[in-house]
Amino acid sequence: MSIAESLNPDLEGGAVAGASPAGGEVASAYTGSAWRLTMRSFFDNRLGLIGLVMLLLLLLFSFAAPFVYHSNTLVANYSINLPPGPGHPLGTDGNGRDILGRLMLGGQISLIIGIASAIITTIIGTLWGAIAGFFGGAVDTVMMRIVDVLLAIPTIFILLYLQTIYHPTIALLIGTISSVSWLTAARLVRGETLSLRAREYVKAVRVMGGSRWRIVYRHIIPNTIGVVVVQATFTVANAILILATLGFLGFGLEPPAADWGSMLSGGVNYIYDGYWWLIYPAGLLIVLTVLSFNFIGDALRDALEVRLQRR
Amino acid sequence: MTSLEESHTQTITRKRASALVGTTAAAAMLLAACGSSAPSTSKVTGGTATFAEGPGANPNYIFPLTPSTNFSVDNLAQFQILMYRPLYFFGNGEAAGVNYTDSIANPPVFSNNNKTVTVTLKHYVWSDGEQVTSRDVIFWMNLLKANKANWAAYVPGAFPDNVVSYSAPNATTVVFQLNRSYNPTWFTYNELSQITPLPIAWDRTSLSQPAPKPTAANLPDTTPSGAVAVYNFLNKQATSLSTYATSPIWSVVDGPWKLASFTTEGKAVFVPNKSYAGPNKPLLSKFVELPFTTESAEFNVLRSGGGAISYGYIPVTDLSQKGTIESAGYNVTSWIDFGFNYWVINFNNPTVGPIFKQTYVRQALQHLVDQPAWISTFLKGYAVPSYSPVPLAPANSFADSSSRNNVFPYSVSAAKSLLTSHGWKLVNGVMTCQSPGTGATQCGAGISSGETLTFNLQYLSGVTATQQEMAAFQSAAASAGIRINLSSGTFNQVITNAAPCKPTQASCSWQMENWGGGWEYSPDNYPTGGEIFATGAGSNFGNWNDPTTNTLIQATHTAANGQAALNAYQNYMARALPVVFQPAANYQISAISTKLRGVTQNAYLNLTPEQWYLVK
Repeated sequence: MSIAESLNPDLEGGAVAGASPAGGEVASAYTGSAWRLTMRSFFDNRLGLIGLVMLLLLLLFSFAAPFVYHSNTLVANYSINLPPGPGHPLGTDGNGRDILGRLMLGGQISLIIGIASAIITTIIGTLWGAIAGFFGGAVDTVMMRIVDVLLAIPTIFILLYLQTIYHPTIALLIGTISSVSWLTAARLVRGETLSLRAREYVKAVRVMGGSRWRIVYRHIIPNTIGVVVVQATFTVANAILILATLGFLGFGLEPPAADWGSMLSGGVNYIYDGYWWLIYPAGLLIVLTVLSFNFIGDALRDALEVRLQRR
Repeated sequence: MTSLEESHTQTITRKRASALVGTTAAAAMLLAACGSSAPSTSKVTGGTATFAEGPGANPNYIFPLTPSTNFSVDNLAQFQILMYRPLYFFGNGEAAGVNYTDSIANPPVFSNNNKTVTVTLKHYVWSDGEQVTSRDVIFWMNLLKANKANWAAYVPGAFPDNVVSYSAPNATTVVFQLNRSYNPTWFTYNELSQITPLPIAWDRTSLSQPAPKPTAANLPDTTPSGAVAVYNFLNKQATSLSTYATSPIWSVVDGPWKLASFTTEGKAVFVPNKSYAGPNKPLLSKFVELPFTTESAEFNVLRSGGGAISYGYIPVTDLSQKGTIESAGYNVTSWIDFGFNYWVINFNNPTVGPIFKQTYVRQALQHLVDQPAWISTFLKGYAVPSYSPVPLAPANSFADSSSRNNVFPYSVSAAKSLLTSHGWKLVNGVMTCQSPGTGATQCGAGISSGETLTFNLQYLSGVTATQQEMAAFQSAAASAGIRINLSSGTFNQVITNAAPCKPTQASCSWQMENWGGGWEYSPDNYPTGGEIFATGAGSNFGNWNDPTTNTLIQATHTAANGQAALNAYQNYMARALPVVFQPAANYQISAISTKLRGVTQNAYLNLTPEQWYLVK
């Protein structure tokens, strides 16, 4: 099934509605499937490509590199704060653990939490927004006011509150971050749904006796995929930043687990001692990871948004 | 830095209780008085001095009859004492010992074969104009007698149980009749030292009542039920931090300072009490205590200069910055207190309490604390080991060989051996009880088959050395098959959690708590440990319950040869391990502005800003 079909199962063929050829190069793209068009558009975006490469490298660094680089990442010892050198390419931390190895460990945790949070956020936000937008009326009012109320509460307050009453675990962090991140997705999907529910094919399904749930499930949600996917990439980046913030504030995973924010926080204790290896690598990885997801998200948005595509 | 400084410097850990006495030998501590080494300049009357509070250790209890959850240096020695003077002040400058000059009372007189104690008061006045009288001492005693279970320093059988009667024959004399003969030094240093006269203006049960006069009859404290009501009222007032500075209760003081403002975060601004009748009247016009959540936060302010902190500290992790701090206008010197360090284990925890009650388990845990390595690596040498409850520093005559030698040196193999020889076996990396029962080679009473050695340990946040120590312990424990789940909390969070409890109470779920500073012997200045290890004692946080310990402690109170009794006590405790001993770091590496003079670093951590002054 092409992406156009997946976006609208009732649509026959692969053409993208509203698109029209303009020039030979674009005409070539237009003749391809919507999927190929999207991919081409994505890969034409240099920043998107850079982001993708960065992400692949980060995935390799976090998940594959530990198989070839073995180090002490968990056991504390007395070789503390060693500068980069033989045996420890990026030195050791305040507990004598290898920083390079812990960066890999922290990368695994950051990416797992970020991606898992994005998935949960996307599911909840999409369902919430689609239902609110499609049903409208009192349902919409109640559901979106709940969103408004939750958005009005400072995120950091909710996060710190939850982290202080429960022992931080990966599952808790995923749940905590998801609990504050789905609101934006819900708003976006709801807005998209308001537009979609007035489309002819939705009306046609109604006329043919399709149930409202079927419309939401089969037609509304699939047609918000573009918005949802783009939002999901930003959510991953946001989740990693939240995780880093929590870790920096001392509310990250319990030791000896590693996360980049906690590593950064640990390094700050030695900021006057010139122990740069405790700060820069973790900070750089946070920046690169967030940047990669933002680049990918921007490129995906450009690629999936019909109005931004070349014609 | 002088060699003397090098030998003493460092650390930021806080003792749970405030310090005091020691003995004559404890007076051997001599700290580098850098303040006096600076070139003299002209003395200024007035001005403001700011003092940095310990990380997360902000004052949060003002009433000087303190429960265990608030029994800390930052409340007693560095807050309450500025406003409410105890009967006896401890510390002579930087030397240990009782300071009768700065005390409200004259030296106690023991008679009747040490069964009668007579205390006479000097001329002190409250800020409401009333004189400090024997009635004020009686008021404190009445509240204590009726509310002893709420008092952190309560030791069953000791104060006030051992006082048969107390009376005030005149306005300046208090007579205590004891139930038997007691060692006068112990009674003075550990019993009379606890008393803080309270103003009769506090003898009421609501704010709407007018403040009573000392001459009033039938005041509520004179009956047990009334004393309970008064205590409840004052305790409730003490939990209302935002009203400290404005309260008609707390504004009645007899110390050199009174509160001008106070924030719930712990910023306290003091101004001189113009009615103060004691020696050393304040020269400063304002004294400010500043709260910090972490040592790094404090150091950032200190390092930025500008005079925001007159009296702060350098974290051990930032010792390399000593030169920078000195060039910013500070003298750097150590502050050593009379205490020992440990973390507490909860014998009443319904889950792991039975495991902690096994001596071999505690010995295994102690084998995993590498005190020499912790001192040299994490504390940069600015600490001494703790092998028993009797402190090694400052130098004193109390500690005998059992307190100076490590009975349980660091050894993972020894720890494992102790466990495996008592029915435990490694299963999936964690020691698991395979042989339940009470036999010599079995796990012990209350431990069932399949139970694992998994413990939760909460430690002080914001202090790097403590975090490093706990991470090292966690790793060593893991090597021995003991899983330690670490978490951190502020000083006040940790000491609140680590409260004596019964197994049936929800608050008894804590397992191990480390507030980083162990025990500072004050106001129990004679290190017999009754307050922390006697059964039912108010500060017996871990609920240690051992008849032998009680007998040995009691002997230190009454024996004719006090040192022999103390030796027997410390020898036993070093092996019984009622807590997990860890290195006792110096209280802090102080950074004192070169413009601030008159600072003496009291061995019991009492602050004396009334002696400080600024120079141009």
